[in-house]
Amino acid sequence: MWKMATSKNSHALSLNILAKCSTSKARACAMTLPHAVVDTPVFMPVGTQGTLKGLVPDQLREMGCKIMLGNTYHLGNRPGPELLEKAGGLHNFMKWDRALLTDSGGFQMVSLLKLAEITEEGVKFQSPHDGSEMLLTPERSIEIQNSIGADIIMQLDDVVHSSVSGPRLEEAMHRTIRWLDRCIKAHRRPSEQCLFPIVQGGLNAELRKQCAHELVKRDVGGYAIGGLSGGEEKSEFWRMVKLSTDLLPDCKPRYLMGVGFAVDLVVCVALGCDMFDCVFPTRTARFGCALVKTGQLNLKSKIFAKDFRPIDSECQCSTCKTYNRAYLHTLANSEPAACNIITVHNVAYQLNLMSSMRQSIFEDKFPEFVQQFFTDMFPDGDYPDWTLQALASVNIHLR
Amino acid sequence: MLATSFFGSIKMKFIIEKTLATGGRLGIISQANRQGNVTLETPMCTLFTKGGSAPHLSIDMLRRVAHVPEVAVMSLGALADHHETVAEFGKGLREFTAMSNPVIFTTLHDASAAISPGKNDNSGVAVWGKGGKIKLDTSLFMKIQESFCPDWFQAMSDGDTDVSCGNKRLVKSVDRTLDFLDEIVEAKNKSEVLSKSSLIGVIEGGFSETQRKRSAAETVARPVDGFLIEGFEKGNRDVDLFSLPDFTKILSFTLEHLPTDKPRIMETVWSPLQVIKAFKLGVDVFSSAYPHILTEKGLALVSDYSLPPLSQPAKLELQTANAKNEETNGLYIDLHNSRYSEDFGSILPGCSCYACTNFTRAYIHHLLKTKELLAFVLLTIHNFHQYFEFFQHLRLSLKSDRLNELEDYLSQQLNSGLDR
Repeated sequence: MWKMATSKNSHALSLNILAKCSTSKARACAMTLPHAVVDTPVFMPVGTQGTLKGLVPDQLREMGCKIMLGNTYHLGNRPGPELLEKAGGLHNFMKWDRALLTDSGGFQMVSLLKLAEITEEGVKFQSPHDGSEMLLTPERSIEIQNSIGADIIMQLDDVVHSSVSGPRLEEAMHRTIRWLDRCIKAHRRPSEQCLFPIVQGGLNAELRKQCAHELVKRDVGGYAIGGLSGGEEKSEFWRMVKLSTDLLPDCKPRYLMGVGFAVDLVVCVALGCDMFDCVFPTRTARFGCALVKTGQLNLKSKIFAKDFRPIDSECQCSTCKTYNRAYLHTLANSEPAACNIITVHNVAYQLNLMSSMRQSIFEDKFPEFVQQFFTDMFPDGDYPDWTLQALASVNIHLR
Repeated sequence: MLATSFFGSIKMKFIIEKTLATGGRLGIISQANRQGNVTLETPMCTLFTKGGSAPHLSIDMLRRVAHVPEVAVMSLGALADHHETVAEFGKGLREFTAMSNPVIFTTLHDASAAISPGKNDNSGVAVWGKGGKIKLDTSLFMKIQESFCPDWFQAMSDGDTDVSCGNKRLVKSVDRTLDFLDEIVEAKNKSEVLSKSSLIGVIEGGFSETQRKRSAAETVARPVDGFLIEGFEKGNRDVDLFSLPDFTKILSFTLEHLPTDKPRIMETVWSPLQVIKAFKLGVDVFSSAYPHILTEKGLALVSDYSLPPLSQPAKLELQTANAKNEETNGLYIDLHNSRYSEDFGSILPGCSCYACTNFTRAYIHHLLKTKELLAFVLLTIHNFHQYFEFFQHLRLSLKSDRLNELEDYLSQQLNSGLDR
């Protein structure tokens, strides 16, 4: 039996479950953080280097965004933790007064740097700037995240690709738990920043179970589910998500890392996840792709050259209220302003999708919402098998 | 009156309120167009756009900039390819681009870019878009204008001349431009759609007084509503025209040969001090490509355009802020410079723009270093704000007979920057 948190106030986060879907595991909560009360389920746009790709914080506020991400690896390099401390933290530096979440930096180490080597001590890597050898330890990651000052910070985890199995995967899972304990110990600002551990274990159900069991023994404010969305089979992906949410306590938020495609969001909300992040909506915007309920529109394509409708006539974002597709088609091929304009819409699309799900949970009509979403997205009814299975596992049966 | 089109165009009126001994004018352009009555105070600048949008700014962000010019300049290079789309759209370029400026002014070339020379001939001229060269003859040119429905449009012109061009080239440039103008006037007279559009005649002639005089006299004799003076350089070549020996003389000479009752426009990339020089000779309407070019280089305008005593507090603060700054030339600072990495002051102390009221030099330095799009959004806002505000101060200084004070003050700032 694990011990309950000794005090309600020991974490910089509190979760209030406001409504539960009577069919699936979906729930709507209010998550109180030092800088915002965040409505969940929530999508968190990714502002990697202390800016959300061409948008100012006011634009995000106007869209109702309450929490966004920063990346510790990037911010630790530039502008660096010392500067961020002098600036009074990332909130102050980028003029974002709502909630922030930072990752641990470990994922970027492993995915961006070819020469990263993981030891018990930490992640050893070559500096991309001067080639010198550097070491990111759990302590150092937390130290940097303490300087950045985000409302939610992540433990350093031993990230392995989702195709890895066997002893290396098992080692990574156990090390993740050992590193969690070092992170908890190193955390200097627990009343201002809530530290999330990460459920690892790849695609191995047994390891995930073990990992989740260990994590819930620790006194933490919320949990992340990691090591997924790395290109694994979707049939395995959803099972690992479900297994994790089944084991994590109801009273804490569950953050599914790196997931942000609309279909994945809807399925994983049904499976009981509360928080999501992904670079996809903002990255695809910069390539001229706009998200709509039927999928996405590649505005660079000639088929939009004489399409005078807005991206989405029902969308209330400033882009849809201002611009037509044909004009965006001319801009998307040439002007940087197009990136900003389409990014606004894509962020609005993600936020609207989440708030629609939330609304339907309040009305206890989430299954109906899911059905309508899938009907719009797959008008021919060719729903991917994994979505049918995943949704059926939480009693939602698509027609 | 020559200048009455078949459909009875509602003319652009230019009323001069004050003329300086040097030729500069304080004036008002008034016009009834598709957007109702428009009144523009000169000297003024237009809004520089790329592809019909303010560079880097959505309409939503452009709304956060104060004193946005009423006239938006849209060059044909980036847009000509889409004229059939705009024709099918049926409501002109303003609504197509969603810009709310009451005056849309179509020009040939992007004022911030160089022009590849030698692509013009007797049948037409080349403009440059993303897809490369687009060759325009007068009939295609007019078809484009009819679909775009601009409020002002620059007549097609053969203007890729500069100080190195010989007489033969200049004669050809003037002749072709006049031939194009005749064809355009004829077509415009037959066009109901363009009956409310003002035609801007183009003055060529390079650095030849003879050709400038001929171009001016012949253009004046045709029904145009204003004059665009070009042909001094082949697009923007990053050259200070005023440093060329004959430029001031030739420009002044050219302006003397234009009637006073119509506005004179130049699309040259000019700093505030250069604007004052050109204004004093009699140019009324300027481009805002200059702040855009600074933005692309990561530079931010930091001059103080307000006149004493108003300027004192801001000036003192700025002097302190720039005290250790060897990089500034007094007009702008380079925010790439690592000296700003820990500078938590605004770009320009006292500046009321959206970028300065919200963000620091250190943050913008970080955005530039990490090549983030927001760097250019914020610099565009600041540099536009400063440049637009400069024109406000320029007009104020004229109204209070203090233009020389403003010019001296700007020169001092420039010099003090260089001395440091």
